[in-house]
Amino acid sequence: MENRDYQRLVVIGNGMAGINTVEQLLKLSPNTYKITVFGKEPYPNYNRIQLSYVLEKSKAVEDIILNDWDWYTDNGIELHTGTSVTHIDTEKKIVTADNGMQVSYDKLIIATGSKPLMLPVPGADKQGIIGFRDIADCEHMLHAADLYKKAAVIGGGLLGLEAAKGLLKLGMDVTVVHLFKDIMERQLDHTASLMLQAELESQGLKFATGKQTEEFLGEERVSGIRFTDGTTLDTEFVVMSAGIRPNVEVAKASGLDVNRGILVDDYMRTSAPDVYAVGECNEHRGICYGLVAPLFEQGVVLAKHLCGVETKPYEGSVVSTQLKISGVDVFSAGEFMDADDLAIVRMHDDWRRVYKKVLLRGGRIVGGVLVGDGKEASRLQQWIRTGTVMTEVIHDAIVGQSSIDTGNTAAELADEEIVCGCNGVTKKHIVDAIEQKGLTTVEEIKGATGASRSCGGCRPVVEQILQFVLGEKYDSAAAKQEAMCTCTTLSRDEVVTAIKEKGLITSKEVRYALDWNNTEGCSKCRPALNYYLGMIWPTEHVDERDSRFVNERMHANIQKDGTFGVVPRMYGGVTTPEDLRLIADIAVKYNVKLVKVTGGQRLDLLGVRKEDLPKIWKDLGMPSGYAYAKALRTVKTCVGNQFCRFGTKDSMGMGILLEKKFERLDMPAKFKLAVNGCPRNCAESSTKDIGIVGNEGAWEIYVGGNGGIKARLAELLCKVRTDEELLDIVSAFMQHYRETGRYLERTSDWIERVGLASVMEVVVTDLDNRRALVERMEIALSQVKEPWSEILNNSNLRERMFEDIKVTTDQN
Amino acid sequence: MPMSNPNAEEYTFYLVGKPEDFSERLGRVVRLGEVELAVFKTTDGKIYALENQSPGPRGGTIAEGIISGDVLFDPICDWKIGLADGLVHAPDTGQVRVYPVQVLEDEVRIGLPKREGGTLHD
Repeated sequence: MENRDYQRLVVIGNGMAGINTVEQLLKLSPNTYKITVFGKEPYPNYNRIQLSYVLEKSKAVEDIILNDWDWYTDNGIELHTGTSVTHIDTEKKIVTADNGMQVSYDKLIIATGSKPLMLPVPGADKQGIIGFRDIADCEHMLHAADLYKKAAVIGGGLLGLEAAKGLLKLGMDVTVVHLFKDIMERQLDHTASLMLQAELESQGLKFATGKQTEEFLGEERVSGIRFTDGTTLDTEFVVMSAGIRPNVEVAKASGLDVNRGILVDDYMRTSAPDVYAVGECNEHRGICYGLVAPLFEQGVVLAKHLCGVETKPYEGSVVSTQLKISGVDVFSAGEFMDADDLAIVRMHDDWRRVYKKVLLRGGRIVGGVLVGDGKEASRLQQWIRTGTVMTEVIHDAIVGQSSIDTGNTAAELADEEIVCGCNGVTKKHIVDAIEQKGLTTVEEIKGATGASRSCGGCRPVVEQILQFVLGEKYDSAAAKQEAMCTCTTLSRDEVVTAIKEKGLITSKEVRYALDWNNTEGCSKCRPALNYYLGMIWPTEHVDERDSRFVNERMHANIQKDGTFGVVPRMYGGVTTPEDLRLIADIAVKYNVKLVKVTGGQRLDLLGVRKEDLPKIWKDLGMPSGYAYAKALRTVKTCVGNQFCRFGTKDSMGMGILLEKKFERLDMPAKFKLAVNGCPRNCAESSTKDIGIVGNEGAWEIYVGGNGGIKARLAELLCKVRTDEELLDIVSAFMQHYRETGRYLERTSDWIERVGLASVMEVVVTDLDNRRALVERMEIALSQVKEPWSEILNNSNLRERMFEDIKVTTDQN
Repeated sequence: MPMSNPNAEEYTFYLVGKPEDFSERLGRVVRLGEVELAVFKTTDGKIYALENQSPGPRGGTIAEGIISGDVLFDPICDWKIGLADGLVHAPDTGQVRVYPVQVLEDEVRIGLPKREGGTLHD
């Protein structure tokens, strides 16, 4: 051997298996090998499993290229396309190509893939009969669809159905011919198979099942098929998709041990020294795989082996199948047929056309089939791979009616587990990319690793891994929005935790200690921090007026013309003739533009000039109604048992009590209450943050309602007997929301985020916790001040806030 | 930036008050003849005067906005406006007219271009 510091690696086959192995190898050790690749097709490596998209015309050939020409150049790979290797001299370690070229190797990888099994029946050599395996076949089919009308696809397996659907979409009249009664019988049980067939029939495919092809009819070109039962089918074009056969010719001709495929051990070694076989051309432990996931798993082991990196042996793959046909959700993995030693969880719904089946051996998930609802496919696949034990939660997730969060299972995935089958990306690749490049979103992972770039089916798993690696730093679907604002990468919860742990009292301290990238913050974090600080340190924090939105600063609602709306409190929507008269007099005195009865049962004086605000409040002598605030707005009440014949409770009295107790307290967002005296619900409890409904002997408390931008009906939190209990529950609920809500998050969104069950637990069930919440609420309430007294008593402040400076420019 | 380095010769400066008349980070409206200004004092004590008109599509005034450093967040459209030059920060565009401010011996003066009403003061 000549003296050199690299070894020669020759790869026969430029498809997904060979090139993936090369990619893995380059990652591990970029300089160990000088690589030469031979490929029969005239293309760089493309994504063969996406050929059906090309056939459907939803993607172009360029779109499914995985490694472009530059990639080969950049990595110093010598690529010979349109070239087949015809012989391997395993003694001299030289390969010979069909063009006579000879290349010597130190290591050789055979990755010749497979070819369609062409039925050995009379007439199979007629024109118009092709397989479906490569881009050329695809182009052939696209061409045929222009010229002919009737097509037959032989083989009702995965690839056959995809081809058939593709031809149907191209406008052909397509019949799927299948040897067995059930289509996809190697992945689906009878029920699932029938449902799939019915679905495809409804889309226009025809089926001839239980038919064995005896002969192709026609002259030079095929014109029909005769089956063994004597029936015939007219057709002008035939696609053979009755299975694949490993390409073993060169291996066989070169004396390697070959059965159906090229025999390999757990490290992909063939019978010849330094010759390996990977992907569909090999046979491992008696199995020739025809799917994408195993070839990646094999490639990982082989690449490590070739680089001298320690690796676990390849011990076979759990294969899964997902039909890539739009409108048809079919998934199958692991075992799928009933057997005596299996326990089956089955859900079959003919009306929704959903079928789900999970197979358990000894309580562990060993297989599953999903038809009509593939949402859980990627997780089911994970559970099957890892042999997860069935739990209530998993059971609910798969066959339950509710969609209960099954939690994060990313931790259970092995490092070498392939997460993205389309691009052969392992969990470790993703974890490394997240850690080394500081990635925070699935999009970034997609860009850096290719995971979820193709079919996107693994996206939920990628997201789980991201969540798993980042832990608390993880921003979920709303990703970036979950950082508090662009001044920081921290989320609301992280900021709140840090405020408590580090004892930060002012927003300036927060921004400094938590490394804000903007020393004075922005319009998003300033009001939010001011709220969080006041919530956490009710007695210590001094309200930061300059961080309040204008309405909360001026205690009035600014209108589009720069004037203000003034809304005095009218507790429970109850007023007196004296108050009404006073309001009327003041409206006249200050020449307000409009008096409006609000939706919250009170009056709005509109068109008040800014400089009149302190005066009008002084004259009114009524507290502000906080109609502008992230705080308790109104408590809407019905007349109740004081007057109403149906009333069972004093709703007005309770409403006034609640409004007086909780007014002025800062909340994450505006907060509305209603109290009703009977279930007729005249005060509309179902659209309030807290809606209280009186019954004979009890109060019902509904929470999380919203009648605004996104309507949501309130849900029952609990029923209580006494007024004291009612006050405690309301108090604890409001405090829990104050402590866990995001600034500007209404209870309707908050409840959906944290879940009603958790709120019930914290506020209703856990009595100690309820008591603690009520105590903290009392402390917070003790700090609340009436805003106008301070302003009215401080003339300097009043002037600066409410009075314009006027300077005349005319000196005369 | 037409207003960033005003030549004092071309402006007439009017006394509007003392620095204490302005609260840090809270805007105050100053009416200078016919011109309505939003005047801001930043944390480091600098005073800026801008036309009290939102550059955003919905109109409104800007004196009520939140101040961060030398940037104003428009209270209506939440655009970021540079106090020194009135320029709207990307991705939005626009400019609010700015007026020169002089602070000398505890007196705040704001300049109007002579051609626009400042001439009478000469």
